[in-house]
Amino acid sequence: MYRKITREKLRKWLIGLSARAEILVPAKMNGLWTFRLFHNQELPQNFLNSRIPPKNLFFEPLKGLLGWKAADGSFQVNSCPAPEAARVIFGLKPCDARALRLLQPVFTGDYPDVFYAGNLSRTLLLGQACRVQCQGSFCSEVGIDRQDSVDFDVFFREIAGGYIVRVITEKGNTLTGEKEFFEESSAGEWNSAKEEIRGKNEIPLFNLEKVKAGARERFPDEDFWMRVSAKCINCGICTYLCPTCHCFDLCDLQRPGQGVRFRCFDSCAFPDFTKMAVHNPREEKWRRYRQRVSHKFNFFYENFQTVACVGCGRCVAHCPVNLDLREVLLEMAR
Amino acid sequence: MTAAQVQPTSIYLPSLAEIVRMEQLTKMEKLFEIKFKDGQELGHQPGQFVEVSLFGIGEAPISVSSSPTRKGSFDLAVRAVGNVTKAMHALDRGATLGIRGPFGKGFPIEELKGKDLLFVAGGIGLVPLRSLINYVLDKRQDFGRVLVLFGAKTPAEQLFLDELSMWRQSKNMEYLETVDRSDGQWKGNVGVITTLFPKITIDPKKTVAVIVGPPVMYRFAILEAQVKGIPDDQIIVSLERRMKCGVGKCGHCQINHLYVCQEGPVFSYAKIKDLKEAI
Repeated sequence: MYRKITREKLRKWLIGLSARAEILVPAKMNGLWTFRLFHNQELPQNFLNSRIPPKNLFFEPLKGLLGWKAADGSFQVNSCPAPEAARVIFGLKPCDARALRLLQPVFTGDYPDVFYAGNLSRTLLLGQACRVQCQGSFCSEVGIDRQDSVDFDVFFREIAGGYIVRVITEKGNTLTGEKEFFEESSAGEWNSAKEEIRGKNEIPLFNLEKVKAGARERFPDEDFWMRVSAKCINCGICTYLCPTCHCFDLCDLQRPGQGVRFRCFDSCAFPDFTKMAVHNPREEKWRRYRQRVSHKFNFFYENFQTVACVGCGRCVAHCPVNLDLREVLLEMAR
Repeated sequence: MTAAQVQPTSIYLPSLAEIVRMEQLTKMEKLFEIKFKDGQELGHQPGQFVEVSLFGIGEAPISVSSSPTRKGSFDLAVRAVGNVTKAMHALDRGATLGIRGPFGKGFPIEELKGKDLLFVAGGIGLVPLRSLINYVLDKRQDFGRVLVLFGAKTPAEQLFLDELSMWRQSKNMEYLETVDRSDGQWKGNVGVITTLFPKITIDPKKTVAVIVGPPVMYRFAILEAQVKGIPDDQIIVSLERRMKCGVGKCGHCQINHLYVCQEGPVFSYAKIKDLKEAI
């Protein structure tokens, strides 16, 4: 189902929704794009993507899980409440929305994480089609359509003065059904709103099937992993900026008479990630780099039948030593 | 944007438990007998583990050391090496701690029934094996021969001395032990655990070897079991990993596509022998 809305009406629609839900939109903060609370402002037209992935709004870098109190000789421990307050995020990109879906079976499944599940179910995802290829990205190579997606509730394609929208979920249908803001549109209008991606890779960088096969074949090739990981400095920025990385640590904060246990980001790039009392199975850097790449293109695929990379390019664009994952994948695909 | 239905319990929330008994096993290891405050049973299988919480310090994955045939409480035997385990050693009887679990897959008891069992324990590898050995001894008629090989670095590092002296005299089982280094008083075998293998005779077709010990022991003990003719799918091991969450999410215990906290910690050697970084 397709609808359309003018730019000004979209802003008013979001202002209306903000009485019922927290609204987050792309905004610049200290020179960097991020998702911020909506203050009724004009929506940006030149937004490529946020530096930090919106994964952090669902799987938080630091999240209180439970707290305890020791008062009057009694000891009590209680779970932090799962998030429930309704929320709308506008302007998410197809790569990041796919990442949120990829993480769903990890955090639900046999042992559901009420915090991730709660964040997903309380959020209306409003996506926006890309117009420009992001620096370092290889999204189309890993199967992301930059101008279409079913990972949202509603997906927006920008046109002059407004948007054509594709309504995907029932939740999205209900909210965009308000005639005051949205008009009916058609598949024809939707199709004509499709645009060429500026700066796109004219020829695909690699074939994903060959990368997946290469990931399996190259796994035992220690010389390969030593060579490609040689300049890595274990800083972990690739994992902290990755929309699909989801390793975490649990840590405690004790104050007088009470305390909190947190879930916080961790990285398989760090030397002590697997360290135990007498043994560290991934002491060498190349083993950790191999783990990270193999988890995304080999193990995650084996467990969930999809690769855990959406090609957003953040790890490529922001690696301090220019360790370019695209080059590694390209070599794996050969 | 719908109101949440009934909140499921958070997977991170431990149940409160109490230390009802403590025993210094060696200089480094202590036994803790634990009871849940609400009286619930742990309901574990031998080989499973729990996440022990010391509120304000953290969690650590610890193997359950008692047999599920013993009701009302369970045992954890802990070596003081990290933040949590050192702090645990400083606790007193009656102290409160948190328990999540049991987690993971334990020893495949149904597959062991009717088989001859060769237990090979190195050092604190005896901790998870004690759960299974005591289970087997409590259900003795369900199993064939029971052989236990136990190796410790020195006589002073032997664990569960009362049980070892019962096993030495038991007619229900065959028990062999060794120490890497004698203390002068020791009258028994001296040498690494593999030196015990030539002293036993087994029927490899009907024997399952269950091997638990430090990483360095696995390679050699598994080789000895293979030399005895035991096929790889009848060799069972239990792997140690840094299992932080216990529920297959945090990534710390991952070996290739396997999450040790969920698929393991008990594996058949046949399943993991080709996995890099497993052993």
